[in-house]
Amino acid sequence: MTAFLALAGLSYVYLTLQLYHLGERKKAAENELISLRTQNDIASAQIAALTSRSALQRRLKEGYLKMIPISEANIVRLTIPPRSPDEDTIQPVVNPSAAR
Amino acid sequence: MNPNSRSRCMLVCAAFIGLFSIFSFRLIYLQAIKHDEYAGLAAEKHVYKQIIYAERGMILDANKEVLAHNIPVETVVADATHLNSTQATVDLVSSELRIPSGELAEKLNSARRYIVIKRDVPAHTATALREKLRAGNLHGIYFEHDATRIYPNGSMLCHVIGFTDFDHHGIQGVEASMDEYLHGQDGYRFIEHNRAGQEIVPYRGQERAPRDGYQIHLTVDLGLQNIVENEIDAAMQQYSPQKATIILMRPQTGEILAMANRPHFDLNLRSEAKPDQMKNRAIIDMMEPGSTFKIVAAASALNERKMRPDSTIFCENGLWKFGGAALHDHRAFGYLTVRDILIKSSNIGAAKLALSVGEQKFYEYIRRFGFGERTGIELPGEINGLIRPPQSWSKISITRIPMGHEIGVTPLQMTVAMATIANGGKLIMPRIVKSVTAADGKTISSLSPMVLRQVISPEIAREIGDALRGVVSDAGTAAAAAVPGFTIAGKTGTAQKVNPRGGYEEGKYVVSFAGYLPAEHPEFVGLVVLDDAHTSKPELNYGGLVAGPIFARLAEKAARYLDLEPHEEIRKAIPVERVEKKPPTERVHKTASAERVALTNASHH
Repeated sequence: MTAFLALAGLSYVYLTLQLYHLGERKKAAENELISLRTQNDIASAQIAALTSRSALQRRLKEGYLKMIPISEANIVRLTIPPRSPDEDTIQPVVNPSAAR
Repeated sequence: MNPNSRSRCMLVCAAFIGLFSIFSFRLIYLQAIKHDEYAGLAAEKHVYKQIIYAERGMILDANKEVLAHNIPVETVVADATHLNSTQATVDLVSSELRIPSGELAEKLNSARRYIVIKRDVPAHTATALREKLRAGNLHGIYFEHDATRIYPNGSMLCHVIGFTDFDHHGIQGVEASMDEYLHGQDGYRFIEHNRAGQEIVPYRGQERAPRDGYQIHLTVDLGLQNIVENEIDAAMQQYSPQKATIILMRPQTGEILAMANRPHFDLNLRSEAKPDQMKNRAIIDMMEPGSTFKIVAAASALNERKMRPDSTIFCENGLWKFGGAALHDHRAFGYLTVRDILIKSSNIGAAKLALSVGEQKFYEYIRRFGFGERTGIELPGEINGLIRPPQSWSKISITRIPMGHEIGVTPLQMTVAMATIANGGKLIMPRIVKSVTAADGKTISSLSPMVLRQVISPEIAREIGDALRGVVSDAGTAAAAAVPGFTIAGKTGTAQKVNPRGGYEEGKYVVSFAGYLPAEHPEFVGLVVLDDAHTSKPELNYGGLVAGPIFARLAEKAARYLDLEPHEEIRKAIPVERVEKKPPTERVHKTASAERVALTNASHH
């Protein structure tokens, strides 16, 4: 009986210490997660700023970016088939919102 | 044991029993009766509610381009009672955060327990400072996690997006109107800490996760917005107006595709902006619309069957005395059809159209077109405009209101009215918010088009649309607004500027053009307004000559962006290369000069 009580007491102390230890590890993992999220947020904010329309246009004006017209050889032209009111026709637009 | 010893023994026992009984009662009193009170007091010392802040939602355009984003920053604060070396702390913090040391020393010597040293400190600067404080063993400086709003496009769409205050509450634009959705809901966690102030993780109490703010998707297309911004900048450079507004709207759905105002400001430098730059003039500025308002007079007369499009009206050869005052036209017109009244912009003809329906009916049509009430767009601060009821009209009001005088409308109301014509007579509520989604992409709310009422019949809308096509022709007042390959319907407006102290300002005009393209199946309605434009010659300051060409340029670019197919017949008639327009001919000069005199005289009433 005494041995059982002693064992139970020791187990209690051991498990309590384990609980604290795991708590510390949990806290460290949470801090790391917060840090990674922060870095991620900073990175996505930088991406948004650098790829924004204003930033790209500024860089275009400053000469860091250059736009080259598509050469004639790289353009494939499709002949639009004649429309018939009785059949489905191809909308001659590439922007679906324009056809609304 | 003698009796004395026994009685002493019993006395001691009784004393012990009494003492322990008192202890027991005290224990029961503390542990049972007063348990909650003392447990609460103990918890106050060691347990506190840690707020887990929700992240504010992003604002995106119709194509999911980011318009407003968050960036993590830290707020550096101090507890003056914890400082162990004030001077060393001042030296280090002032050099790291680049703030004047005198100002910082004054703050830290105040002995307050919560001093905000600097907000919006970048994470890397805060980390460097934290390490240097640790290395120098300096106490009393703390860091609070925070986030600041960044706007990647700077000044683009600034009046629509708006901005937030220090507490992350929206105070202008969509940031304010959709704050409820953007703000999210903060979470919390009850934590217990030890004497050193470190959290005891196993003793964590109740916890609720934060709900990040929803993402707001606007109807604005940044591609079109960019076209509009470039055109309004070019107009500012060319004409140096005091104010300018351009709006593009999809008539069938009420979606605002682009909205720009000048003057404007950079959202990332909002603390430097002046109040005048922060106004969204499209919804909070009133203007007299001028001749663009003639569409209301024509619509009311046609819809009430008082006139037909080909009915002729005598336009008094340019001068008409009514109610003791003279009303002028910019040219001497004889008989004009209703269609020609719009094409040639006859003031007398428009006045007679309004007279044919009567004051009360005409007022009803003005209200049915949405003037005098907020459009309901999801932007804060919108005004009603100013439409007086017929009871307070003067004798000549019925002749002045049809040509856009004696009333105040917002540029958005004028755009919506033109969209009503483009949309077969249906008045649509303008929308700037397309949908609200959660961070995982789940749609929370999706806004569908809202038809407010059928203002005029589709046939009448089509007939007015036909007349408005004539405006953008050689016979009309806005030949310069034409776009090769497309038929455009539109109406010009030139109104003398209202003086806030009464009357009109001499030589100052608000010029405008409202139109849509393609006229047969409108894809967008546009409005260009320039307030007090400066032209090379004063007689060139007209809606058709100033706002019309701006509309033409932006409509051409917008049509190309939307990949609209040019009208086949016109494509055959006009060469593919844009024909360079000749400068205004003698006819235009003569007309403009005559119109200037007529309008100046007309505005004296």
